[in-house]
Amino acid sequence: MKKILWLSCLLLFALLAQAQTKVEDVKTLTLKNGMKVIVLEDHSIPNANMYLFWKVGSRNERPGITGLSHFFEHMMFNGAKKYGPKMFDRVMEANGGSNNAYTTEDVTVYTDWFPSSSIEVMFDLEADRIGALNISSKMLESERGVVLSERSTGLENSNFQSLQAQLKSTAFFAHAYRWPVIGYESDIKQWTKKDLEDYFKTYYAPNNCVVVIVGDVTLAQVKKLSAKYFEPIPGNTPPAKVRTVEPPQNGEKRVVVHKKISSPNVALAYHVPSTSSQDYYALDMLSSILSSGNSSRLRKSLIFDQQVASAIFTYMPQSFDPNLFYLYGVAARNITPEKLEAAMLAEIEKIQEKGVTDFELQKTKNQKLMGFYQQMETINGKANSIGTYELFFGSYTKLFNAPKLYENVTKEDIQRVAKKYFIKTNRTVGYLLSPEKKGKSK
Amino acid sequence: MKLNYKIWMLALLLLAGAQASKGQGVFKLPKYDKFKLSNGLTVYLMEQKEVPLIQASIVFDAGAVHDGNKPGLANFTAQALLFGTKTMTKTQIEQQTDFVGASLSSAAALEYARVGLSFAKKDQDKMLAILKEVLTHPAFNAKEFEKSKKRKLLRLDQIKESPRNVIGTYYNKLLYGNHPYGNPVAGTKEGVNAITLDNIKAFYKKQYTCDKAAIAIVGDFDRRKMKATIKKLLKGWKTKKATSKALVKPDMSYSKSRVLLVDKDDANETTFYIGGQGVARSNPDLVAVQVVNTILGGRFTSWLNDALRVNSGLTYGARSNFVTSKLSGSFYIYSFTKTETAIQAIDMAIGVLDSLHTTGVNKEILESAKNYVKGSFPTRYERNSNLAALLTSMFVYGYNESFINNFTKNVDNLTVAKVKQVIAKYFPKKNLQFVLVGKASAIRDKVKKYGKVTEKKITSQGF
Repeated sequence: MKKILWLSCLLLFALLAQAQTKVEDVKTLTLKNGMKVIVLEDHSIPNANMYLFWKVGSRNERPGITGLSHFFEHMMFNGAKKYGPKMFDRVMEANGGSNNAYTTEDVTVYTDWFPSSSIEVMFDLEADRIGALNISSKMLESERGVVLSERSTGLENSNFQSLQAQLKSTAFFAHAYRWPVIGYESDIKQWTKKDLEDYFKTYYAPNNCVVVIVGDVTLAQVKKLSAKYFEPIPGNTPPAKVRTVEPPQNGEKRVVVHKKISSPNVALAYHVPSTSSQDYYALDMLSSILSSGNSSRLRKSLIFDQQVASAIFTYMPQSFDPNLFYLYGVAARNITPEKLEAAMLAEIEKIQEKGVTDFELQKTKNQKLMGFYQQMETINGKANSIGTYELFFGSYTKLFNAPKLYENVTKEDIQRVAKKYFIKTNRTVGYLLSPEKKGKSK
Repeated sequence: MKLNYKIWMLALLLLAGAQASKGQGVFKLPKYDKFKLSNGLTVYLMEQKEVPLIQASIVFDAGAVHDGNKPGLANFTAQALLFGTKTMTKTQIEQQTDFVGASLSSAAALEYARVGLSFAKKDQDKMLAILKEVLTHPAFNAKEFEKSKKRKLLRLDQIKESPRNVIGTYYNKLLYGNHPYGNPVAGTKEGVNAITLDNIKAFYKKQYTCDKAAIAIVGDFDRRKMKATIKKLLKGWKTKKATSKALVKPDMSYSKSRVLLVDKDDANETTFYIGGQGVARSNPDLVAVQVVNTILGGRFTSWLNDALRVNSGLTYGARSNFVTSKLSGSFYIYSFTKTETAIQAIDMAIGVLDSLHTTGVNKEILESAKNYVKGSFPTRYERNSNLAALLTSMFVYGYNESFINNFTKNVDNLTVAKVKQVIAKYFPKKNLQFVLVGKASAIRDKVKKYGKVTEKKITSQGF
């Protein structure tokens, strides 16, 4: 196998040499208030973006204010000193821009997309809300309704969300990853303006943020605008660290949730280390080997050969603290959840006992390289990847190293992580089932 | 999330766009070659060298409008292309494709079927050879067909677990009735159950004809070399001549308001579509219609989202959209809210649509909408796959790059007076058509005020 690996390395370097974006094209500035600004000039289209990665997510919450990070993300659009309620979006859209935002367990990310001629407006809008957010009671109440609707429509339309909420809360005993990012309904209904103001003070200081700008801009322009708009905003003492460490799980846990569905859904969740861990790349490749493409282990065996599943996926979020590796299956018609669970476990055991093949290893490396290029195809893909690597992997430079870091993973590494983490005492099993018929109870 | 990205991108994707050449405001589609092979197949080639990737997209006149009395036939046939060929099994195709990190997909839409393939430049020969096999020598393996059928029948139950997944299908059926534009692309359980392997083989022979097909290849290659490669690869492919008759234009003049109430007894929300007739893809006022729709329901600050979400907190999102087809099109307002506030939200949505007619659009908001659609234009066509989809859409719907290259000019030329005409002519005002998916027992009596109510259980077959 050495020879094949060597050949593919050559191919890899040949391909990388062609990629237009290189690590040295990326420039960084650190402002006096501690805010980091990363810039990549890309003049392929007359557009640019600004991604703001805030190091705050649901892991920073506590019972009573669960979901506040996400709610805060919404409130950041609802008025500041210069641009009052509704003005952020109105001014942005009138200048040809658009935006979105998302919140995870670890981060809150704001994304602005705009014609490059509007860049100064974007700096002005962002600086206003970062420096002087003004939370109005009226906007708070209407936004509360919006988030209740967001929560409800997620549960109404997604079986995964319905099961995942309970699965997480079962798998995590202590750590804040145990509640859903959107929060508990009762907390959404009760948090106060003061909760939001405290949150803003604690987490929204410029030193808690990494800004990424990619597109038809110049470094000099970004330097000048950052100095003018972002640098005057005062920094703050960094927020307190998350203290709680999830203790080891000493025994399998199981949870059942009811919802009217056509066939049972089964989820397995195993505790795995954080994204910064050495084992991340092997686990990520294991995830691909299990479920990426119809030739992957779980899809081929469970959907097409045994026909016990109608859908399968695996998921391992990028994460600051140790999190979960999910395997999720939807049963085929008339297949019991027990049967599907057993089939999923059997595939894991096969990898633990016999490892993966050379073919699978090389396939996954090839898939990772394709994924890398697909990310680098757009200015938004570039900005999101650069920010994600900067926060979760310690440096954006690792993005450009990623194909090589995957290339270094061996079959033995993959078998080792499968054996180490996919063990019974480390797992939580969730079933999503239709409600039991009346009169039938165990 | 601030807003559901997918929902909004759907609305935005309808705006066709282009890569911008340097210099503000001048939008030009990158240069491409277009030619016909002797077998009638139209070929588009466009170089894009930002990343070492290539995208191929092939369209056929094999959409669900040709389903006939077997709803789901077109989509099943498209998917069956990947069930194996004369020389490769389904598993072999998947292994070889996955191995190089490529992706191969095939599905039908209402008016066409599309095979898509993306791969790395270095795998060009291998992947184009697989593509040729799949297109020209599908084996329609019986075992894979039976297995797929079982999955499809379950899937048709599963999609009804999510109102958002199916409301559009109910809406099309309500608007178009028995016209083929009302056909559910994924089919019905009854329809899929009745489909035989012979039906699929016959459909392939009849609809997958070169004279009504086009292939677009976009990415990192040399156009002259690719031209030679494609000629060599596909010129020997002989198919029958197309025989499908042109469809008649659907009648979309509604003499009264109608309400289709789809009962989902475990629903906590009411999901709704409200609308009526839209415009065809070829309508000369399409750009104007899209700019006006941006104001009504095509962006975050749109009037619908402002009223239903920002001002009142009734919903996570409200929007409106025009779906364009060859012969006609539809318009709809879409939102959802908890059962208790369904009537309030629907009334409000109707009120917003009404205000478009009564109050209209002023110069300031028109300028904002113009900037908005122009500002996001270039990003719609950054990916090879976007460009390939654009080229094949030009083929299917019969337009050319002038639509792209004149887009900015057409947006800039819009006046308040023209907008007034566009609103009166193209935005439904009365005899609105409604689909409501939710707990019928809670809203049944209250929705009578919107029009003649028909009720269906979501678990009943079909749409």
